[in-house]
Amino acid sequence: MSIIYSLKNVVKSRLVGDAGFRLCVPNVDIQAEEHIALVGHSGCGKSTLLDMLALALHPDSSESFTISPVNDEPQDVDLLWKKKKQNLLSKLRKQHIGYVLQQGGLLPYLTVRENIELPRKLMNLPEDDSTRSIARVMDIHRQLDKLPGLLSAGERQRVAFTRALSHRPSILLADEPTASLDPITARKIMAVVMELVKGLKITMITASHDWAHVYKMDLRSLHQEAEVVENGNVYQSTFRD
Amino acid sequence: MGQFRNIITLSFRDYSHEWRMSGCFVLALASVLAPMMILFGLKFGIVTSMVNTLIDNPSNREIRPVGSARYSQQWFDSYAARKEVSFVIPKTRALAATIQLKSTNAGRIQSTELMATAENDPLLRELDNKPEGYYQVILSDSIANKLNVKVGDKIDGSLARQFRGKRERVHIDLQVINVAPPNIVSRKVAFVSIDLLLAIESFKDGQAVKALGWTGSQQQPTHQFPSFRMYASSINEVEALVKELEQQGVDVKANTAEIKTVQSIDQNLSIIFWIIACVGAVGFSFSLGASLWANVDRKKKDLSILRLVGFQGGKIILFPVLQSAYTGFLGWLLAVLIYLMAEQTINQLLAPSLEIAQVICYLLPEHFFWALGLTMFVAATAAILGGIRASHIEPSDGLRDI
Repeated sequence: MSIIYSLKNVVKSRLVGDAGFRLCVPNVDIQAEEHIALVGHSGCGKSTLLDMLALALHPDSSESFTISPVNDEPQDVDLLWKKKKQNLLSKLRKQHIGYVLQQGGLLPYLTVRENIELPRKLMNLPEDDSTRSIARVMDIHRQLDKLPGLLSAGERQRVAFTRALSHRPSILLADEPTASLDPITARKIMAVVMELVKGLKITMITASHDWAHVYKMDLRSLHQEAEVVENGNVYQSTFRD
Repeated sequence: MGQFRNIITLSFRDYSHEWRMSGCFVLALASVLAPMMILFGLKFGIVTSMVNTLIDNPSNREIRPVGSARYSQQWFDSYAARKEVSFVIPKTRALAATIQLKSTNAGRIQSTELMATAENDPLLRELDNKPEGYYQVILSDSIANKLNVKVGDKIDGSLARQFRGKRERVHIDLQVINVAPPNIVSRKVAFVSIDLLLAIESFKDGQAVKALGWTGSQQQPTHQFPSFRMYASSINEVEALVKELEQQGVDVKANTAEIKTVQSIDQNLSIIFWIIACVGAVGFSFSLGASLWANVDRKKKDLSILRLVGFQGGKIILFPVLQSAYTGFLGWLLAVLIYLMAEQTINQLLAPSLEIAQVICYLLPEHFFWALGLTMFVAATAAILGGIRASHIEPSDGLRDI
């Protein structure tokens, strides 16, 4: 199995003056087709780490931060940010990564179908039956012509997953995708997602504060340790294997 | 190219999806732009009609000689060639510039003053034809009434002189080619070509005029003219021409005092209107700019999502810029409609107190395009500034609601 992400001493701080928050990743490798859970309570930096993995946020410093997408050149992410290669980062994001936000992040002015097809359109991919079959598995195929505003929260998250998978990325990132849903709906959706991810051979990294849930789904979890450093001014959060 | 088309589609979909918000922006823009256009229309209409009625009124441009002198043909030629002079034509001696007119429609013979005219005569600028040759005449309204003639009629002109002790009278058939309305000249005047006027002077002086078959002394006359009619090309040239003529010893009069008043009113009105217009334009730019800038901020999350699904930063700028362009264009369109309605209303309300063809509120087609240009420029600038900021923020920045 090849390594998709390799992070060594990646640091990201959000400081106001001397005080604030710092995220550290001393040494994490993520293999292709692994299913990872970032586990920790709210505010521990899960979203920050996911944003960095999604190439949507630059790290402050790193010894090494590489992404090696399936069927593509390995890239030094830190270097791309430092060289301000925004367009290359956009391209990598567009081609290899699907990202599901906590609140769906659907565009309210596009129908469900158009939302789902947007990533494919951007990559000039033709319309595809597999998108429809994902929509069917996700049980949203009857909602395709509605605007997101008319859907329930659960349906919106199903659409968000479908959109994130529509352009066949090799990496799926999900930031607390079920946090705003009731537990039964949440489990139903995650079960379907896991099935799809396994079937499509996708590497999945999801953030969750629901420990029990993670163990049940048989995810490898990256644990978070918190400590207060620098005279109590900085809350430091570290993710380890 | 594909991304560009996608951005156009997406920005329009968003714009029409949020039609209430978009409508508010359009209304806000139109409500600032329309009053500015009306103000401009008023300034332009008032100043233009002032210019037309006062500045371009030929009597304000006329330079009138006082008393009589002797001006040669060369003198006239040199002044006619000057660009400050729009028109100059000789007057002959008052006694020689009189003719008896008679028509078959009225009993009385009318003794009538003769004036020379020619192409480009400012006094007769409303008439589209001028007398040529020896047999054409334009009558003033009052003499045409007295003779009871209209355009196209033939009248009889007769001249008398004492020649070698004998009283002689000659007749000439004249065709009325036009009638000058009373606001141009109220006296009894017949406008003729300079050729006919000179022929009549020659006859009165006892000389022969071959072309008309009038006999007399064969001595060829060298005409010297006692007076002239002169018009400056604009009121701004009048003062300098008056000074120049006075230095030559020609005593002249002109409406210099009125001209000064008109000039200063024009200047002051222009200054006032420009001040208001500048303040208006700055206010307009700020209000439009502020609302479009705020719109970019409001759109931060949507723009971040677009970047997340793979739109490049540079192209994301187009999103708010295009939406601003929609607002700019629709706002302008609405403002033009409001303006046109206001223009109609103002002009109709004030029509009774205006002269014919005079309007108080009026804009040229290019003014509408200037307004569109200014609007689009301000809209694009505000949106680009906001958009550049939006494109600089990291895609992760706007993703989460606070």
